[in-house]
Amino acid sequence: MPKKNTAYLSIMLVTAFMGLMLAVQFRAANRAPGGIPTDRAKEMMTELKQVNHERDNLTKEINDLTYKLNQLNKGRTEALNALNSELGKVRMLAGLVTVTGPGIEVVLDNPENGGKTTSPELSFIQDQDLLGLVNELWGSGAEAISINGQRIIATTEIRLAAPFININTTRVVPPYQVLAIGSPDSMANALELPGGLVEYYRDIGFQVTVEKHDDLTIPAYAAR
Amino acid sequence: MKNKSFYLILVLIGLIMGFILAVQFRMTSNIAQNESPSIDRPIALAQELDKAKESRDEQQKKVDSLRGQLDQAAGGPELARVKEELDRARKEAGLTELRGSGVEVTLNDSNNVLQPGENPNFYVLHDGDVLSILNELKAAGAKAISINDQRLISTSEVRCIGPTILVNKNQRLSPPFVIYALGNPETLANALKMKGGVVESLQIWGIQVDVKKVDKVVMPPYSGGLVFDYAKPSK
Repeated sequence: MPKKNTAYLSIMLVTAFMGLMLAVQFRAANRAPGGIPTDRAKEMMTELKQVNHERDNLTKEINDLTYKLNQLNKGRTEALNALNSELGKVRMLAGLVTVTGPGIEVVLDNPENGGKTTSPELSFIQDQDLLGLVNELWGSGAEAISINGQRIIATTEIRLAAPFININTTRVVPPYQVLAIGSPDSMANALELPGGLVEYYRDIGFQVTVEKHDDLTIPAYAAR
Repeated sequence: MKNKSFYLILVLIGLIMGFILAVQFRMTSNIAQNESPSIDRPIALAQELDKAKESRDEQQKKVDSLRGQLDQAAGGPELARVKEELDRARKEAGLTELRGSGVEVTLNDSNNVLQPGENPNFYVLHDGDVLSILNELKAAGAKAISINDQRLISTSEVRCIGPTILVNKNQRLSPPFVIYALGNPETLANALKMKGGVVESLQIWGIQVDVKKVDKVVMPPYSGGLVFDYAKPSK
């Protein structure tokens, strides 16, 4: 009889312990998916980097503007120089001046002999493709872009008017030569990364080349 | 005989318990290892980010006021000509506030109920969708465009990061996205709503697009820095 009693006791102990453990286990398992994925940290890091970069740019801009304001009060020639220098910078942003500098050249052409498929959506370059390319280049720090000699400015459209593409209401035809001034490495890397735009274009069948240049010239926007 | 089977059960329970204990231990120690850095780091980053954004906004205000001062600065008649040109260039570059009539386009993710097995990717907004709307507006003659109060200039990009959009390299916007475009309201609205046009192709996926003609649009100026590290004016 006493032997049986201790056995029951130990079984009770064991089951109680197991119940406790089950509860702990359940809570732990429940919490795991609630943890913040490392992706979020990565995303925030990228955003932080970008905000800091913009802040540095703003600091440069503040110094520049403060200097120009000081020049204004110094004398006639200084004031004229300061205003002209600001004018030059703004006109450059507006795309009204021809600019030179290092950058990349992307040449995009339709697939040879009609491509792999017969579907026209897949066998020739559409406005969406050029829009995506230009967007990617701005995103990776391009300072000026042109396509077949057409400067891309704030109001520039890239629009399919089959079978041609209109840019700045001017008809352009393939091969599309896209020039971008900016850091050649960061722009080329952004385009050529695995799963990036260049790979996508090649998969569709387009002919793509990306070339870095030390000295490119991008024409001014020709006002109409 | 009865005692023996009883002991066998005890041994079995003991074995199972040992196993569970081991699994439990490994799991909790695993969680403890993963959890502490991944929770702490985003929180620390979020605080950094808030600080950085605050000082960015402060500096943006400073730049705005300095640009204003430069405009107001007194000068002789020979400066007036340069100032006039500067004004015009600023307008074209997107550095001034503009007012006029135009359209308001509101974009939001699809409200379609997803059927099992369907690709949810088709039903959320992508940067390409926003790009094609912006492009259509430009083709229809929009003079200036903003999205969630961010003025878009020539160098502006639109990028998807999760459910949010990043524009002007450092401004993160979240849905709904409200696009304003300055121009002839009739032309702009018709270009978007045209048969087989952008709006129709987005509505196939259930993406919510709302186009409204507006009499008064206030276009905020671009207030970022103008820094050219690579491009130089050619002589």
